[in-house]
Amino acid sequence: MAKAIGVAPTRMELLKLRQRAALAQKGYDLLREKMDALVIEFFEIVRKIGVVRAKTMQQLSSAYRSLSTCFAVQGTIETYQAAREAKKEVEVDISTRHVMGILVPAIEAKPVERHALARGYGVYTTSSALDEASREFEKALGDLIKLAELEEGAREIALELEKTKRRVNALEYVILPNLKSMVKFISMRLDEMERENFSRLKRIKAMLEGRE
Amino acid sequence: MSTDRILQFELARLNAHLPEQRITLKDALSASDPQVVAKDGSKHKFERVELEYISKIVHADDWDKLRLPILIAVNPKLGRGAAEISGEVEAKVISQVLGKERRNQEIVIYRPEIAVVRAKLPTTTQYFFMVG
Repeated sequence: MAKAIGVAPTRMELLKLRQRAALAQKGYDLLREKMDALVIEFFEIVRKIGVVRAKTMQQLSSAYRSLSTCFAVQGTIETYQAAREAKKEVEVDISTRHVMGILVPAIEAKPVERHALARGYGVYTTSSALDEASREFEKALGDLIKLAELEEGAREIALELEKTKRRVNALEYVILPNLKSMVKFISMRLDEMERENFSRLKRIKAMLEGRE
Repeated sequence: MSTDRILQFELARLNAHLPEQRITLKDALSASDPQVVAKDGSKHKFERVELEYISKIVHADDWDKLRLPILIAVNPKLGRGAAEISGEVEAKVISQVLGKERRNQEIVIYRPEIAVVRAKLPTTTQYFFMVG
């Protein structure tokens, strides 16, 4: 039996195993708390993504409608020409924030919406429909940046959640039961040895008394 | 033994995101880029909107007493899903956010309340796991 479990049934081993079981139990409790907290964070970020995604889709739909109008009013080639002339740089400040030890990006975009004169295309040769379409796309770009930040955050949290869940499960279903069974086995074996000793002593005592 | 080592590493990593030094609300409001440096060397930035929200809750005299981020101390001894917030001003902020009464300098909150606090103050609050 001792060989099957792989531990020596000694008091020293029992003490060591009890310490290990206590550490594993503490780790399990804390990691489970971490997992619960990660679930809260994950659902909150998913809720935010839902809101921002709906807003972004609506904005993009409006932007594409404006672009169609622009194509109709100004002409396709002229619109593409203006798009090529436009300045395409958008300044973003990417930093990080901590969510339970996970670094998630925090993106701050400088105002994406620009004045018609700052866009780079000639205002005299283009129609107001192009300005309208540009404005709508700039708004959509702001929303897309926010959505990207949230989605990356959700991805990072989901990965950490998966890792934590795996560890909690390993502790709950493998490590803790193993340690507990080993502690139980050694305790039972030590008790058995004590009983054996006791009965042996009784027997010896009886034999000695018989001789006298 | 490697399992124990992994476990100890995990436990040590639980609080790696905590700041080396917390800053007061007053300092955070006056900083152009309010942030703290975590124990692992990374930076944690505070949202200005949140700072302004807290500044409305807390009296101006207490701005230099409130240290940010507010720590939500998760202690398994309190039971699963429970956490406590220590500090007079910190507890006051949380009780105002939740509309919950507090008895002394500490406030104990539970999982649904933690979700509300984290939703309202995602950058100015942080989890702290009580390992010891």
